[in-house]
Amino acid sequence: MNLVWKLLRQHISIPQFAGFFFANLVGMLIILLGIQFYNDIQAVYDGEDSFMKSDYLIVNKKISTMSTLTGRSNTFSEDEVADFKSQKFVERMGAFTPSAYNVRASFNMEGMARMSTEMFFESVPDDFVDVARDKWSYEEGSTDIPIILPKNYLDLYNFGYAQSRSLPKLSEGILGAISLTIRIDGNGRMDEYQGRIVGFSSRLNTILVPDAFMKWANNVYVPAGTTKETTRLILEVNNPADDAITSFLQDNNYETDQDKLDASKTTYILRIIVGIVMMVGLIISVLAFYILMLSVYLLVQKNSTKLENLILIGYSPAKVSLPYQALTVGLNVLVFILSFGLLIIIRKVYIGMFENFFPDLVVPSLVPSMVLGIILLLVVSVLNIFAVRSKVLSLVRK
Amino acid sequence: MEKIHLQHVLPKVFLQRTDIVSDVWLKDVTFEKERLYLVEANSGTGKSSLCSFIYGYRNDYEGKILFDEEDSRQYTISQWTEMRQRHFALLWQELRMFPELTAMENVEIKNKLTGFQKKDVIRGWFEQLGIADKMDAKIGQMSFGQQQRVAMIRTLCQPFDFVFVDEPISHLDDTNSAIMGDILITEAKRQGAGVIATSIGKHIELNYDKILKL
Repeated sequence: MNLVWKLLRQHISIPQFAGFFFANLVGMLIILLGIQFYNDIQAVYDGEDSFMKSDYLIVNKKISTMSTLTGRSNTFSEDEVADFKSQKFVERMGAFTPSAYNVRASFNMEGMARMSTEMFFESVPDDFVDVARDKWSYEEGSTDIPIILPKNYLDLYNFGYAQSRSLPKLSEGILGAISLTIRIDGNGRMDEYQGRIVGFSSRLNTILVPDAFMKWANNVYVPAGTTKETTRLILEVNNPADDAITSFLQDNNYETDQDKLDASKTTYILRIIVGIVMMVGLIISVLAFYILMLSVYLLVQKNSTKLENLILIGYSPAKVSLPYQALTVGLNVLVFILSFGLLIIIRKVYIGMFENFFPDLVVPSLVPSMVLGIILLLVVSVLNIFAVRSKVLSLVRK
Repeated sequence: MEKIHLQHVLPKVFLQRTDIVSDVWLKDVTFEKERLYLVEANSGTGKSSLCSFIYGYRNDYEGKILFDEEDSRQYTISQWTEMRQRHFALLWQELRMFPELTAMENVEIKNKLTGFQKKDVIRGWFEQLGIADKMDAKIGQMSFGQQQRVAMIRTLCQPFDFVFVDEPISHLDDTNSAIMGDILITEAKRQGAGVIATSIGKHIELNYDKILKL
């Protein structure tokens, strides 16, 4: 056995190191579990709608019997938009642009019904749509238009229409592969396009096309001089649980889908809870680190004569620090591996529960929590190495 | 390293004293390689302090200690480590052995660091000094005289330009002292090193080139 280790392992207190080990294990596990759980639950929320983040609110003016009778406009004036934009809770805001031309869509499936319907398009600024740029763009002259449909349409077809006519049910995947024929007319022109369904959104009750297409089409198919009015606004808020939002909407007689505000609130609160839990984990880890440092200091102190004698017979301070550094770093690595293993086991249990409710769930990777764990491991190890070294050097400098 | 040069060195604790009569303190003294020095001292004249100053263990002194005319106060920790592994050997008066280890392990812990002496040379020294049967005994269970012999063996397990022995034979009989002196001189000659021995009365009988009164 290494003689230096044989000397320096004297006075190692197993209970102290076990105390550190378990405390740090708990702290590390809480931190890793916090970040992983947050990622996983976020995937559950995002999984419902991958095109719109759940933090976006869609606001329109209330339509009441009175406003219909009096013919009061439900569009936002420029002043109103500016006023809204100046509110503190608004991070970003964009307007929905409606189409001012006629749209007719039809799709054929071999051996099945040919469906044809009148419809309309709307667009929002592209940065509100979470689809890769190359999938969500339109170039002038192209006949290919990417489209996002409301999920309700698919449900209507699957559970209403297809059910009553004994037609096959369609999944999102199959529909994505089918192309729609879109006919647009207006301003004395009529053209055919191919609509490509990029996805379905449960957040947006509208048929969405890229902003670039909408701008171009509103120029071509709409007689000049027609004013375009904004009826709906999309906005990102910094804190969905903010009371100011609700009271502002009420004061101005605007409305938003309360559910969505609630969902946003839920994720916001979830984020806070996970933050608190991770903070607790971090505090436990810091305390554990403190225990470790104390016991290493105590160990160095108890073995100070041995360390001093080793240095005086020609051992370098680095060489005599090494056993303690290896000990602490080894413990840290062990804690990391063990807590990561526990994380995987615990996660398996709750992911299994999630999957019962959300079969389509795309399970996020473990990489973020692994990276965080490794960063913590490195930081703590580097601190340990320096602490041991400086403690040993303090014996030499007299 | 060729020489150790002491320039007006004085322990700080002696600063108030005006009655210092010494061949070393406050003098200009040079120790050279291949020569034998004896530093004789009465108790309390700072003999062990001198060893600690030269060995870089303490620096509570006035004046300068120069190694080849380079101020040893400027030495870095890694330079001192190099010094203690390759250039200086010191047999401490208090020995500084590890009581948890056996006699052989105490020697090996040094020899493994330097890889300098062959195993049978070390065994030979154990036999010459009459402690071959104690090789595997714990140092803590050995008498001070036996420990002194082990400490001498450990001191020689490295290359050196100078070897300091601080009262090496205080607990030895004349026969063992003579053997120890013989081993020390043979090894120092082989390495072409300088020897500096201290004593407070009893000292190894050697042909000293210079005897200094501390």
